Amino acid sequence: MIQPALLKKQRITLAVLLALIVTTSLIGLGTGYSSLSFDRLIPTLFGQGTFKEEFVLFSVRLPRLVVTLLAGMALALSGAILQGITRNDLADPGIIGINSGAGVGIAIFFLFFPVQAGSLLYFLPLVAFISALFTACLIYLLSFNKSSGLQPVRLMLVGVGFSMALSGVMIVLISSAERAKVDFIAKWIAGNIWGTDWPFVWAILPWLVVLIPFALYKAHTLNLLSLHEPVAIGLGLSIEKERVVLLLTAVALAASAVSVTGGVAFIGLMAPHIAKALVGPRNQLALPVALFMGGWLLLIADTIGRNLLGPDGIPAGIVVALIGAPYFIRLLLKK
Amino acid sequence: MARLYTNDLSIGYGEQLIVKELSIKIPDKKITTIIGSNGCGKSTLLKAITRIIAPQSGTVILDGENISKENTKLLAKKMAILPQTPESASGLTVGELVSYGRFPYQNGFGRLTKRDYEAIDWALEVTGTIDYKYRPVDALSGGQRQRVWIAMAVAQETDIIFLDEPTTYLDMAHQLEVLELLQRLNTEQGRTVVMVLHDLNQAARFADYIIALKDGEIVKAGNCEEVIHYDVLKKVFHIDAEIGRDPRTNKPMCVTYNLIKGE
Repeated sequence: MIQPALLKKQRITLAVLLALIVTTSLIGLGTGYSSLSFDRLIPTLFGQGTFKEEFVLFSVRLPRLVVTLLAGMALALSGAILQGITRNDLADPGIIGINSGAGVGIAIFFLFFPVQAGSLLYFLPLVAFISALFTACLIYLLSFNKSSGLQPVRLMLVGVGFSMALSGVMIVLISSAERAKVDFIAKWIAGNIWGTDWPFVWAILPWLVVLIPFALYKAHTLNLLSLHEPVAIGLGLSIEKERVVLLLTAVALAASAVSVTGGVAFIGLMAPHIAKALVGPRNQLALPVALFMGGWLLLIADTIGRNLLGPDGIPAGIVVALIGAPYFIRLLLKK
Repeated sequence: MARLYTNDLSIGYGEQLIVKELSIKIPDKKITTIIGSNGCGKSTLLKAITRIIAPQSGTVILDGENISKENTKLLAKKMAILPQTPESASGLTVGELVSYGRFPYQNGFGRLTKRDYEAIDWALEVTGTIDYKYRPVDALSGGQRQRVWIAMAVAQETDIIFLDEPTTYLDMAHQLEVLELLQRLNTEQGRTVVMVLHDLNQAARFADYIIALKDGEIVKAGNCEEVIHYDVLKKVFHIDAEIGRDPRTNKPMCVTYNLIKGE
């Protein structure tokens, strides 16, 4: 039933986004603190580089690029699903407590478990993932009502309340901590891509390999969920079941992203929005566009942030917020 | 034996019961209309029969099965619902919205088969909306949009169609257009139509069976001669009605009425 013209538009949009991702990737790979000039990029990729060039490309920049791209995709898809099930355009993984939940988990772990730096690093994504999942489950339980089931509006209100409370908890936690630890946590909250090594890619990839196709498969269900509730029930959609399944999908996607990127906000809000503005509300078309858009947005934010200031750069989350906040305000004004 | 009936159905929000131990039968292949004053529980009853809300006690039985235990997709092949003024599906074309009516027959990705396309075109055809197929739903007038929603319910190919005040917000001509469309679906295709209506004379003119509710209980259920009656209307709406005859259809009609004062 989707018109061919629209389908074509979506294909073109996807192709353009793919081109943007490739271009941004190449720019990202060729710029940074250590020098690896653009003309050495292709030879190094094909194994013709020096040891140093290969190290910079394969052990520093490439894993970071892949992690960023994957995390952006996961956040975008998570946001698209949440906007669908809550029927609210302003929904974002942040509102179901993913960021703050993972943040508190990281803070507690980092402050109170004295582990050596090496082993700690690979343990953090797991901690972030579990605490994000735990927070989301708590929010779900508190917003669940026995007679009326899972009410999206309630979910959002409880979620927002939880996020605020957890942010408070985090400030209390880190106010008494050592300087160096506070630095790391503050950076984590700001959304600094820190999972920049191949193991992190392997940690996040399986989730995406399973959940992205699943979310795309559920595109039509999401279409129906965006209708008036009685209409969707009348069409034979098990609203309760689908909401829970999709919520879990969104939580798992966002938690896996947050576990390697820290608290990046706004990608989950912006990417689905821009996608819908470009190709319309049909999720079959919008979800893939949102996916690419999310990957690209986070990639470009990280590339800019990495090269803007000093050796450490600005966390990608802050660059995203600089773009995202005005977008959010524009959205609110439009309503 | 009716395919669809309720057993001691009680429905309420929280403590308060809105419908009390109601047992009704919906006659097959007929037009049934539920009437009653505001807040008498007619919409609530419709929602419970169509599983949109769960009853506090009692059951709704369709084809011998309790609908609260039945697979919801299976039920969607038997009954379609048009809720009161559904929000317009923004950004969709008429054809796409009507294609959603095929959801109970689809699996997974929501790809439409040849059979689905036929059902969609046919639904657009009988509801007179085929000309708008590629137009956005948002761009239609109220009457056109209402027919599109009905088309979606028709595409669902169910034996029973429920409608909650399908004529609200429409002008006189469009009200009649919608009701005549429902009548055609009933007489030409043998579909059971169950709807909540506000207008007594429309109920009398189009319904085979009328259920009059007051405070969640049945005052009278029967054909229009039995229900559009001075005593019944007095009890249901608290009005002193003058019942005459429609000169064209010879059905009973409420010509004029006064509020009953005092008591």
